[in-house]
Amino acid sequence: MLKLHNLSKVYQTDEVETVALDNVNIEIESGEFVAIMGPSGCGKSTLLNIVGMLDSPSSGDYIFMDENVAGYPESKLSNIRKQNIGFIFQSFNLIDELTVEENIELALLYHNIPASERRERVARVMDKVGIAHRAKHMPSQLSGGQQQRVAVARAVVGDQAMILADEPTGNLDSAHGQEVMEMLQSLNAEGTTIVMVTHSPAHADYARRTINLFDGHVVTENLRAAV
Amino acid sequence: MFKNYIVSALRNILKNRLYAFINIVGLALGMAVYVFGTVLVDYEKNHDRHFSNVDRIYTPNSLFSPSANIGMRSADTVYAAFGDHVRVGMPELEGIARVRREEFLFSVGEKDFYQDIRFTDPDFTKIFDLNYLAGDHSVLLNPSMLIITESVATRFFGSDDAVGQTIMLDHELAVTVGAVVEDLPANSHFNSSLLGETDFAVVANFKALNSLRGYDPATDWTDISLGNRTYILIPDDKDSAWLEAGLQNLYEQHYSDDRKEFVSGIGIEPLTRANTYLWEATGIPLLTSVSILALLVLVVACVNYTNLATAQSLGRAREVGLRRTLGAERRQLLIQFLSESLVIAMIAMFLALVLLELLIPVFNTSLGKIVELDFSRIVPWLALTVLVVGLASGGYPSYLITRTDPIQALRDGKTGGGAGNFLRSGMIGLQFVIAIFMVAIVMVMYFQNQRVKQTISLFPSEQILVLERLNVEAIEPRLETLRTELKRLPGVANVSYTNQVPFNQSNRTFDAGTTPGDASKTFGMNRVRVDHDFLATFDIPLVAGRDLSREVAQDEVSGPTLPANVLLNELATSQLGFDEPGDAVGSVFFRFGTDGSSQQFTIVGVVEDQNFLGLHNNVKPFMFYVDADRYYGAVRLSPDNINQTIREIEAVWDRVIPDYPMQSKFLDEGFEQVYVIFRSINIALSGFAVLALSLALIGLFGLAAFMAEQRTREIGIRRVLGASVPQLVRLLIWQFSKPVMWALIFALPLAYFSSNLYLNVFSDRIDSPSTVIVIAGLIGVVMAWLIVAVHANWVARTNPIKALRYE
Repeated sequence: MLKLHNLSKVYQTDEVETVALDNVNIEIESGEFVAIMGPSGCGKSTLLNIVGMLDSPSSGDYIFMDENVAGYPESKLSNIRKQNIGFIFQSFNLIDELTVEENIELALLYHNIPASERRERVARVMDKVGIAHRAKHMPSQLSGGQQQRVAVARAVVGDQAMILADEPTGNLDSAHGQEVMEMLQSLNAEGTTIVMVTHSPAHADYARRTINLFDGHVVTENLRAAV
Repeated sequence: MFKNYIVSALRNILKNRLYAFINIVGLALGMAVYVFGTVLVDYEKNHDRHFSNVDRIYTPNSLFSPSANIGMRSADTVYAAFGDHVRVGMPELEGIARVRREEFLFSVGEKDFYQDIRFTDPDFTKIFDLNYLAGDHSVLLNPSMLIITESVATRFFGSDDAVGQTIMLDHELAVTVGAVVEDLPANSHFNSSLLGETDFAVVANFKALNSLRGYDPATDWTDISLGNRTYILIPDDKDSAWLEAGLQNLYEQHYSDDRKEFVSGIGIEPLTRANTYLWEATGIPLLTSVSILALLVLVVACVNYTNLATAQSLGRAREVGLRRTLGAERRQLLIQFLSESLVIAMIAMFLALVLLELLIPVFNTSLGKIVELDFSRIVPWLALTVLVVGLASGGYPSYLITRTDPIQALRDGKTGGGAGNFLRSGMIGLQFVIAIFMVAIVMVMYFQNQRVKQTISLFPSEQILVLERLNVEAIEPRLETLRTELKRLPGVANVSYTNQVPFNQSNRTFDAGTTPGDASKTFGMNRVRVDHDFLATFDIPLVAGRDLSREVAQDEVSGPTLPANVLLNELATSQLGFDEPGDAVGSVFFRFGTDGSSQQFTIVGVVEDQNFLGLHNNVKPFMFYVDADRYYGAVRLSPDNINQTIREIEAVWDRVIPDYPMQSKFLDEGFEQVYVIFRSINIALSGFAVLALSLALIGLFGLAAFMAEQRTREIGIRRVLGASVPQLVRLLIWQFSKPVMWALIFALPLAYFSSNLYLNVFSDRIDSPSTVIVIAGLIGVVMAWLIVAVHANWVARTNPIKALRYE
């Protein structure tokens, strides 16, 4: 699916140069469920942003589906991103002014899909994550777990091959957190590649592989048998 | 406590420099325009305050009946003969003085000057207190003496010690300088820059004019020329109503029925309004427009402030929430925020005044005015303006922010209310209504002025040099010699003497009709005295018949009642009842005099309808006939070597008429003298419109910046979900388009109706003011889009991650 080769990311401000990622080499196969762990500031989110093409590396290669996208301009990246990658955030990032249905539809809006098909797909994915009865509600009327389910629905409604989740359970209580993890697991079972950043070892256990980062380096990679 | 408010206000201003800058600069510009407009209008409406009798001086004016058809409602003068009836009929009056301006050639030693003299009645010095540097007011009783101003004395004699000096008028009459007075200030209507008056310079008794040119005011029932006013000083115990009634009564008694048909009544104006009279008479509401537009610009600036402050106050919800939890009462917070807007209004007013103190001197110098900020008079008004602006524009944001629920504000930094959005859009809309309205009006005026300007190309204006002031007895016998000599010059194609050249705004009309003896079915025909070279000189094409010829004796008028051959324009023939110009050739018609006399004219040629008066006038029926009344000499030049030719013409003049200086200008300069009025109105209003639009755009930019900040997270989400930059730009533009579109709906019809007020002054109007207005609207919309697009593009390109990671 993707391969990072000697990838580095350096943030530069006027006075300080911060190395967020230092010569990272990672390969992720299609259909994998990978958890990225590490203490705060170790570069997890930077890594996720680069993988998600929201940020570009300072040096090194990023091969995504046999294409080296490292030097691609924003417009090209944006195109690859919207075809292949779905995002789930810790803080859900739903738009307050739109209903559940509209929030999910937003992900299809930029894909040139006719309205009737959009409605059909949104309905299907809402059934799948069990939020259909809340279709017309506003995000502020939902619980955290429900909001995150909407976010998951939005991430997969475009049939994205890969989902990047940045601490998807960070703002949820344990029951809701588990619910979301199970949802991700079932998506993975259907063939979606999932890359997830998390602080929770319990939730990392849902993944087949865990990559531990520290100070911008890959420290260990643990492979475990399917649960 | 209050000091605390001011300090925190200043700190807040410093903290948000960009918004504060936009706020203050916008408000300062608006205030500068408003203060200047108001002071200027006040200046124009309050001339002549330096005369101690100013509140008791009135000028009677002639109200024209609608059938007079001369494009003005009234003139600031009455027939001179009426003045004598007033003097006799209203003995209570303390003084009445008629004034007639005529130009003379002044010879002082070897030097010659053309100079206007104001001939008047002796009461003039009783009505107006002049400051005598030498001599006194009794000089005006002596018909061979002049009162001159200091600057005239200096110009003629090199010093103000001029009493006793002799001046020759028109090489004919020797007069003596009897008194020298101080110059009148620029804010006297005598020196008005609005009216194109000739400066107050030389005053003489009417009797002098009588002995020079045989003019007798007692018999003048014909001349109503703008600026030749009659001044009346009423006694302390009478008022304007008494004066008006008395004058109206005398009008009923002494105006003949014919004159009553033309002049339908007598009105009066206080002296302070003499300066602005022309605008009222022509129906161009110039000063009112300036007042209204200045106020509108201020309103735009205030709305701008309110809008930005409202948007900005949302960002301060957390601060307010905190203050309230710490025990601040709502009232205290209101005072805090209002103090802030008052401080900003005060800073803005200070900047505005600094700006005006810099600009007003420039304005004064270029326009010959003495406008000033007289702080002893205007400080209370300025303070009131600051107060009103500060409270009005700061009121809403203060109310909104202090209404905030402290718990919610502290939790998520939001004020909760969505109503603010609607109001903000409404305010942006209002700004654009005003801005688009102004731009539309200015554009309509511009295109209409261009249309007016086209009339200059009706005649070869740049190739016609007009010699002026030829109607002097001493010059007239030499005019044929001058013509012969001039025509010998290789650069001169033709020479024609007339009493009126194109664009000369003068209507000399007579009653014309086709039935002999029947003066009832007549119309007013304009007449121009010309010579046989007139058509050729001005390139006026004949459409039927022939040109006037020196070979035919009857082609020249030989007496006031003797028949003569004439040229008409097409309109004149159709008003006489001919279907085709050709049918008119050979026919006769009549001129009916007011005394019952009539004169028969035979039409020998018909010329094309050209707008002889040009500018804003419509085409009128014209008769051209040969008669000796030669004020102008039109010299048609060949287009090459014009400068050389002019030097040769001057040489010829100096040889033939050495005793009078040559006075000349090109035909297009004469056009420009009138056209400049329309152009300067347009330029002035353009300034207002540009300011209003700029303020609206600045406001829009500020608001867009602020709203985008509020929507950073949403923009980030959309970016992550695959929205492209153009898609986001479109989204943001659309948000701001709605109020601008609404503005169009109100501004365009408003502009359409208002522009007609201006267009009505002109007879040849632009075909489609609506197209121009729609284009103005589009300009407004496109500018708004550009502003938002530039900003949105910048916002949409920022990296979305920052907005999304942690709240």
